[in-house]
Order: sequence, then C-alpha cells, then structure tokens
Amino acid sequence: MNVLEIKDIYKSFGDLNVLNGISLNVAEGEVVAVIGPSGGGKSTLLRCATTLETIDKGEISIGGVTFSSHPDKKTLQDIRNRFGLVFQNFNLFPHFSVRRNITEALIHVHKKTKEEADKICDDLLLKMGMSDKADEYPCNLSGGQQQRVSIARALATNPEILFFDEPTSALDPELTAGVLKVIRELAEEKMTMVIVTHEMSFARDVADRIIFMDGGVIIEEGNAYDLITSPKNERTKAFLAGY
Amino acid sequence: MDLIITTASQLWEGFRFTIGIFFFTMIFSIPLGLLAAKGRMSKNIIVSSLVRAYISIMRGTPLMLQLLLVFFGPYYIFGIKTGDIEIGPFKFRFIAAVIGFSINYAAYFAEIFRGGIQSMPKGQYEAAQVLGFTKAQTYFRIILPQVIKRVLPAATNETITLVKDTSLAQVLAITELFTKASEQASKQVSVMPFLAAGLFYYLMNALIEYISNHAEKKMSYYS
Repeated sequence: MNVLEIKDIYKSFGDLNVLNGISLNVAEGEVVAVIGPSGGGKSTLLRCATTLETIDKGEISIGGVTFSSHPDKKTLQDIRNRFGLVFQNFNLFPHFSVRRNITEALIHVHKKTKEEADKICDDLLLKMGMSDKADEYPCNLSGGQQQRVSIARALATNPEILFFDEPTSALDPELTAGVLKVIRELAEEKMTMVIVTHEMSFARDVADRIIFMDGGVIIEEGNAYDLITSPKNERTKAFLAGY
Repeated sequence: MDLIITTASQLWEGFRFTIGIFFFTMIFSIPLGLLAAKGRMSKNIIVSSLVRAYISIMRGTPLMLQLLLVFFGPYYIFGIKTGDIEIGPFKFRFIAAVIGFSINYAAYFAEIFRGGIQSMPKGQYEAAQVLGFTKAQTYFRIILPQVIKRVLPAATNETITLVKDTSLAQVLAITELFTKASEQASKQVSVMPFLAAGLFYYLMNALIEYISNHAEKKMSYYS
C-alpha cells in the first residue's frame, strides 16, 4: 500500500517554475531519499507534500486522503494529522521545555490527557537517548539534541509518514551522527520516511530508494545502492562526482 | 507639618485621577494596539492603509490637540451635549481623556507589537501549522508569548512615558496630579509641591520599572 502518492504536481513562484510535473509513490515502510543540487526543487517538493506550499496542479495523497491546489480546512487538518515534518533548523518552540514541545500538540490538537501525553513523551525521549533532558529548554541543548527533540515532536502524534528536510544540514559535522543514528533506527522499525539530504553515504545505507531531482523534475530514481554506485544519467553522474 | 499633610492629601487627590487615566489607558490601548498591529499587517490593502493613516496621524499630531478634539469635538462638530454623559462615577471629561490617551497610545503600541510580530521567524508558524494547531492556537500559544518577551523593553518605555503624559489631562480641566501641584505651588508660593509631584511620578515609574525587570527576568529562561 502506498502511504504517499504524488501525481504530476506543478509549482511555480511567479515566473520561476520550481516543480515541473513530479510523480512519486512511497510504499508503507519504505525509506526514500531525495538528492540533487540546490535549487533543484527538493525542498519545494517536501513543502508541497506537507501543505506548507500549495501546488498549482496535480494531486497529493497521504494515508488515502487526497488534496489538490485548494484544499479545504477539514482536509488540511486531516492531512496534517497523518504526517510529521522535521525541519532543517529544528523550529522547536523556544519558550517551551522539551517535554512541552513534544506534548503540546498531543494535548491541544489530539486531545490526549496530560498523563497519556507524558507517557508518549517519556517513551520517545528514551528512544532518542534524551530522557534526562525533558525539563530543559531548547536553547540549552546542542544542535544534535535539538534535532532529536524535533524528531520526537514529529513522531509524537504517531504519523503514517515522516518527512525530513535536510535534517543534518544545520549541524556541525560531529553532531550529525546522533541524528543519523536515530533515523537509521526508525528505518529499521519500518517507519515510512522521505528524506531530503546531502549525506550521500547515509542515503545509500539507509534508504531503499533514491530520487535524484534537478530542474523541478525527477532525473533518475532507483535502488539506493545502485543509484549511488552506478548512476546511469549524465547529470546524476556529474552531481555524484562532486561527493 | 500641617502644610506637608495638606500638600500630600491634595496631591493624592490629583494622583487618583492620574492613576485612573493611566490604568484605563493601559487596559484599552494594549488590545487596541494589538488589533491595529494586525490591521497594519493585513493583506487587505484598504484595512492596512486605513490603519497606516490612523497611526500616522496619531503619531504626527500633538497629543494635546487630540485630547481637545475628543473632548470638544462631539459638541462643536455634532452638537452633542457631552456635559450629561456619565458612565458610573466617571464624568465625560475623564472619559474623553481616557479615549484620547487610548487611541494615541494604541498607535505607538501598534508599531511596537508589529515589530515584535514581524521579528518572529516563519519557521515557528510552519512548525505549529504542520503539528495541526489552529490559527488561534498558534497565535496565543506559540507566537504571542514570544512576542511579549521581545516587545517588553519598548512597551515599558511607552508605559513610563504615559505616566508622565497624563499631566496633559489638565487641558481638559481634570484635576490630576500636576494640576494639583500647580495649585498648591501658587497657594504656598513654593516649589515644594512640584518636587513632591515629581516624587509621585517617579515612584510610580520606579514601580513599573521594577515589574518590567521582574517580568524580563522571569522570561529569561530561554533565548
């Protein structure tokens, strides 16, 4: 079963066509990495799938709920309850403790009790190796820790699919390992994920499939190992040669 | 000794009006300022231009003129007998002063709030949005608490200015602190009442500063 179905979507900002007919299916339990040069449309694709941008044409389904260029409020709410998004620069709420960052949406959007939410939070922090940080504020955490909290926040509402927008790009190299380890563990648990990344070796090892995007279209896609080690398209080759 | 007590009690009489104008102005001008900030940022060009004009006029003309207009305008322009208007214990001159100060200060607060709201990173809205928070939840739970921290120093500044500006209410013949001090000064042929009035203003502002510093400290747990 496909958790995510993207059908021929287009997106432009003014005269700039950023997405020029993208179609992509992601099956349950599959991990898809999206790679490609900056400005190639990777982040926009992710932002369209997560309703942060509205698409001009085409259709997107998440967990069987479909939306198009002008989704109504109810559809949007329904869609937003089905995915989680991890941002490049975390976007944690600085005035909330780690615990409240994770539980706020559970309590006020998903109407869980404080006890239920705390239980979910404690389990997730344990998984992230951050049980001792529940009462800390984001500004007292390292970038890697903040990113793990934001993964926990995205996971808390039990999404059907998790999107990552360059989850390690804002981190110092020595801090990326902890974040990548967490994502790797999620992959082993068969969490459905779409990851925009510049970490090629990580993409090769963790993803089932890799999409190479440039100029707002998918240039090449295939089995992660094959695409990284023996790309067929010239542009893919040129891009990967830089790594 | 008697003189000190009379002076103090006279000044206290006036100070009650000063405090009254101050509190009502704060109560009305802050929500009004927030609303005006929202209007100023509105995508609707008519709304945003109207609010922009309102702010421009309020900031660009003397507060004293605005007070006089609010007080005399209804009678001279519309022929409304304002002398009869009373709300509870409050006479029209007091109500006019509160309205005048409120619409003036709301304009200044609006710009302070707008600065604070616009300084919020877009990512905060986006994170809240994908987590499923409604617009109202996002605003009141995520954005506003952070905006308050950011605007507190500037808003405190404005608040302190308001305390001193209340002395302008004397143009509406309101016997506030400064009016009383002038009366006593000429009666006693002494500057002591002025100095005493200065002390009243200063103590009130010292209290505001203390509260503001305390609040700032309370919110310093994050950056």
